[in-house]
Amino acid sequence: MRGLVVAGLAVALVLLVLYPMVASGYEIRFMLQLFMWVALAQSWNLISGLTGYVSFGHVAFFGTGAYATGILITTHGWHWAAASVAGGLAAAILALIIGYPCLRLKGPYFAIAMLGLNEVMRVLVSYFEGLTGGGMGLSLPTLYASVQIYYAMAIAALAVTGAAYLIVTSRFGLRLMTIREDEIAAAAMGIDTARHKLYAFLLSAFVPGVVGGLFARDQGYIEPIAVFPLAFTITMIVMALFGGKGTVWGPALGAATLFVLQELVWVRFLFLHQVLFGAIIILVVLFMPRGVLGVLQQRYRLPRYV
Amino acid sequence: MTRLARTALVLVGLGAAGALIAASALAQGPVKIGASLSLTGTYAALGQNQQRGYQLCAKHVNEKGGVLGRKIEFVFYDDQSQPATGVRLYERLITQDKVDLVMGPYSSAITEAVANVNEKYKMPMVAPMASTTAIFKKGRKYIYMVQSPAEVYLEGLIDVAAKKGLKTVAIINEDTLFPKATVQGTIELAKKKGLQVVFVEGYPKGHTDFSAILTKVRAANPDVLGAATYFDDAVAITRQMKELNVSPKMYGVTVGGDLPTFYQLLGRHAEFVYGATQWEPELPYPGAKEFVVSYSLEFPGRDLSYHSAGGYAGCQILVEAIRRAGSLDGEKIRDAILKLDFKTVYGGFNVDQDGFQVSHKMVTFQWQEGKKVIVWPDELAAGKALFPTPPWSQR
Repeated sequence: MRGLVVAGLAVALVLLVLYPMVASGYEIRFMLQLFMWVALAQSWNLISGLTGYVSFGHVAFFGTGAYATGILITTHGWHWAAASVAGGLAAAILALIIGYPCLRLKGPYFAIAMLGLNEVMRVLVSYFEGLTGGGMGLSLPTLYASVQIYYAMAIAALAVTGAAYLIVTSRFGLRLMTIREDEIAAAAMGIDTARHKLYAFLLSAFVPGVVGGLFARDQGYIEPIAVFPLAFTITMIVMALFGGKGTVWGPALGAATLFVLQELVWVRFLFLHQVLFGAIIILVVLFMPRGVLGVLQQRYRLPRYV
Repeated sequence: MTRLARTALVLVGLGAAGALIAASALAQGPVKIGASLSLTGTYAALGQNQQRGYQLCAKHVNEKGGVLGRKIEFVFYDDQSQPATGVRLYERLITQDKVDLVMGPYSSAITEAVANVNEKYKMPMVAPMASTTAIFKKGRKYIYMVQSPAEVYLEGLIDVAAKKGLKTVAIINEDTLFPKATVQGTIELAKKKGLQVVFVEGYPKGHTDFSAILTKVRAANPDVLGAATYFDDAVAITRQMKELNVSPKMYGVTVGGDLPTFYQLLGRHAEFVYGATQWEPELPYPGAKEFVVSYSLEFPGRDLSYHSAGGYAGCQILVEAIRRAGSLDGEKIRDAILKLDFKTVYGGFNVDQDGFQVSHKMVTFQWQEGKKVIVWPDELAAGKALFPTPPWSQR
């Protein structure tokens, strides 16, 4: 069974590597954005799915990474790959500063604080216009690198999924899930809850930072409202919930399914697509609150690392 | 073979060839033009107006026999007002749907992102709803501007002021992309016309209390006050100017001042206020009257704004360029667009080598007795500016 899974993954990997050689520009861009959503939903899952701390402002890290990368590329002439990693570090530093106090908040208070963080970041970016271009936005030098960015996004998506697997199967992951189930009990058992939450938070902020940087490079133009939209946070939450939060493959499954579905629905129903999308969300929340993978796990007693 | 048989054979051959040619013309099908617009999301209302402009233009072109003997047909998508989606959809239009040509999306921000896609495939794109200069000054070759840039929104106000012999001007603005560009442009124009800029200050988006900034304006005591606004701030500033008795000899706003709601909300306080607009239905451009009439017939009860007219004009420009190029080849159409110099329902169209608009004119109007009277430029003016603006107590 295990060998079969590994073989399947290897085949999928080879296909993904070869894909750009046969795909059209649109198909490459489509997969690139699909990987972006997989990476975002997976990162959200690391903090919110595993520890139960629901982040309503995860796009703040995405936007921070986008701006850090954009600035490094335009004013310091960095290569986009290095700049994107730096974008991830910038997001992680922000997470360190904000996570230290905010992870002590419980339930809705943490969610609201994160929502506030996103608004604050957007205003700050608009305000420091000498650095960020403010409301004028930041225009990156033209570069056609969809294929390279496709690979980078794919690596980001795979890396965060791999990280999720490692965490879920480790003692660290068990401790995080203990915090989710009962934080007081976890602390009573001797788990340093504050430190564990912070580690998970840093990791879950780093990836959106990198992805935001790649996004900025791919788009070639960023502005505050385009990289700090609340809609992005909601989309990644819905994707993770759909696939199954707290699982390894759930967020990836949710992101891929919903993204493909949205794209298909889009073409057929110009004005109905949002209604249909909303209906799908309601149905899932009503009938499969644990997500697709959560339901399968329960019914077939699948192992934790799925 | 008898002569009769030979003649018959030739005739049959000719007939077959004719049928083949006719069939191939039919098989060519319509010219497909792709566009993704903001049909939902923040810009939905404006994006839909633009789409109606495209649709009406396609209808009119097809009624007159299409272009290159073929009909034109739009392929529309919805970018949900998000640049990232727009980029993906234009990539889709070009590489998947294999459209022959594309037209621009709504808003400067989305156009800026999308412009990298059509540039990559060397496909010309007329962008009717992008008026940020920077988009067209990045060395791109395949994007063309239709409306006037942000920099000239207050040109009319400054020009009239200079002609009346006024000396000083103050400028306030919302601190975002578009109004900021207006401020920069206005400072340049004022210098050129010999006016002295005595005060410039921005306020954040969503600001509602303008008493501090207006008190400073009053202290600077300018002859002219220009406000680079959107809608809500234009209303609030005008109202608070009365409360604080700030009364320059001329006062003008940019975006928002042209909406009927502006006058409905302010009533008498809107009198004498100057405003700037890309287009008004009564402007005497060729075909404008017919456009307005058929728009109201085709889309009864729907909003008619400059977005609709701009969309219609953008499509007119593309069709004219195809006609002159005599083909759908990107390079040939690019050459034709760069050489074009003609008038659409939206006004003049002529771009420089960067694709930057140099012919289209903004018009400046003044609210007089509840009506927008166009007072600048002179050749389009429908009336005279009421000058100077009397003190608040006498309005």
